[in-house]
This record gives sequence, structure tokens and C-alpha cells, in this order.
Amino acid sequence: MVMRSNLDPARGLGWGAFLAGFVPGLLQFRLGQTQRAVLAFVSCTALFFAGWMIVRERLFYWALLDPGTPPGGGGSLLQNLARFGLPLTLPELLNAPANAIGALLAWDISPAGERLWRAVRPLEDLGGFLTGASGMLAAFWSAAAHWELRRRRDGGETAALPIANPALCAALSWLVPGLGHAKAGQKDKGLLMGAAVAIVFTMGLVFAGGHAVDRANASVWWIAQNLFGGGTLFASLVTAPMPMGSELHLDLGIILCTVAGLMNLVVMVDAYTVAERSVFPLPGKEVAA
Amino acid sequence: MSLLFRFMVYVPVLFLIGVVITGQHHTTARDTLRAAAARSLRWLVWSVLLVVVMELLGLVFIGW
Repeated sequence: MVMRSNLDPARGLGWGAFLAGFVPGLLQFRLGQTQRAVLAFVSCTALFFAGWMIVRERLFYWALLDPGTPPGGGGSLLQNLARFGLPLTLPELLNAPANAIGALLAWDISPAGERLWRAVRPLEDLGGFLTGASGMLAAFWSAAAHWELRRRRDGGETAALPIANPALCAALSWLVPGLGHAKAGQKDKGLLMGAAVAIVFTMGLVFAGGHAVDRANASVWWIAQNLFGGGTLFASLVTAPMPMGSELHLDLGIILCTVAGLMNLVVMVDAYTVAERSVFPLPGKEVAA
Repeated sequence: MSLLFRFMVYVPVLFLIGVVITGQHHTTARDTLRAAAARSLRWLVWSVLLVVVMELLGLVFIGW
């Protein structure tokens, strides 16, 4: 293993690399990985528009900030930003180009247009998941490029290869909590951490009668719930489309599913770190070559 | 919601959160479970203390 001891492993790659990560494939292109760059851009864009075809202007309704006409009429800075998809629609914002194109195509500030934002669409749960998944996928492509940049910077030309790609481990954990750990060689710990996330998420779904994960009704909570992609996909396909009754513990269920999503963020970061440390261990700790 | 129901939800969730948090500092499931049990017990004590303090504050400012 090669590691230059004078480098601080916690040192970031700078704002340029961070911002370039919002454009899928741009960092891979800078790294000279042309095929990967094309694959990253095409996969993220295709996933976004597969969902966008279903939800279209409904994405504005799910934004963190409401870009609607303010009381008294007139435009606003927020509306000008929303035209390019910047009213903080998360996680779609992580796939900035597709999100901007989708917003430009759907933008209509007339009263009829604003009414369309609120209109429920058939299969909108699935559409919302797909557009959100495009943002997560863009983040994982970006993480993969960041890892490669870091490996070249701190490991030099002869840098060792990790036990598994850290970004791939994080992406696997997004779909199935703990799978990234298994890929990185910590199967039993991955199983335990994955079970912890899955149990809390299931408790949330059960308490809320399946409606804890519903982007149309709890869009802000959904942002954190979506950090457990496999669970959100299940909810989008199975539980969210079910007719809603008078669930007694809806609030508790929403919070538990949100906690499960945040727990899975920790699992994803840890899976990334486990793989990363197979090349760059903590100071004073040896690792098998 | 009864106190018992809240307790029966809170304690297991606290432990499962503890599993994920302590898992970052261990490499095996056994070590993680052991650390999570100790950590969640400590969190539970702090939670009880917090509830007692809040109840006392309620007693002082709102009354019985």
C-alpha cells in the first residue's frame, strides 16, 4: 500500500470538484474516463425523465420552497430561480442539468399552471421515486469520481485498489442497508446495521398503515426517508398507492421512517468509509494488502 | 398514547439507533451489539433525566 504521510486524509478536494459533482459525468470526464462520463450522464438523465414523464410540473409542488405567485401578485426572485429548477427539489437538485431542463419544460406560472402542480397524477409515487433516484444516482457517480480523485491525489500513480469501490458500497447500502458492508468484507456487521434500519422503517410503515412514506402528503419528510432507497421504492410501489384511512399513528410512522432514512445515511457513509480504509487506513492501523 | 406504548416504541428504536451509531466504530457484529447495549442504556438514563426535568419545569410553571 502506498500512502504519503504528509497529507491530511481529511483534506477535501475543493469547491470546484464539489460543484462539478452536480453535473453527472463531468468529474469522470475531467479524470479522462470518457465512457464512464457518458454512462453517468445518460443513466441519470434517463432515470430523471422516466419519472418526469409521470410527474412533470408536480415536482414544483414537492419543492422545499413554494415558487407560487406571492400574495398580491407579481414575480419574485424565487420564481426566477424555480424556472431553472432551483426551489430546492431534493434530491433531484443533485442531478442539476436534468432537473433544470425538466423545470424549464414544465414552468407555467399562470393560475391554471399552478393548479396543475397540485393535481394528483396516476403513478405519481413511482414517478417521484424515479426522479429522486436520479438525484441519488448522480450523488453516487459524483462520490465515485471523488474517490478516484482522492486515490490519485493521496496514493500517487501506484495507488492500491480498494476491496470494493466505496461509492458502489454506498449505493448498494442505499438500496439494501448493509449490502455495502457485505461487499466491503464486513458481512455480519452489515447484516446487523441493515436489520436495524429495516426494522425501524417497517415499524414506521406498520404504525402509519403504510402511509408514512408518501411524497404527495409528506414531501419534506420524504427527502430524508428517501435515504433508504429500497424501502422508499417498496413504499412507492406497494403501500403509498393504497387508499388512506384514518391511521391512528400516522405522525409516529412518518417520524420512524424518517429516522430510518437518516440511520441509513450513517450506514451508507460507514460502508463508504470501510471500503476507503482498505486503501487509506486510520493512522496507526495496518490493513491487509 | 399510553406511557407503556411510548416506552415500548422508544426503547427498541433507541437501541437500533445505537446499533447504527456504534457500528461505525467496530468491525464485527458482536462488538457492535455490546457497544450498542451500553450506549443505548446510557442514552436511556439521560432520556429519563430529561423527562423528569421537563415534568418538574411543567410543575413549576403550569402547576399540578
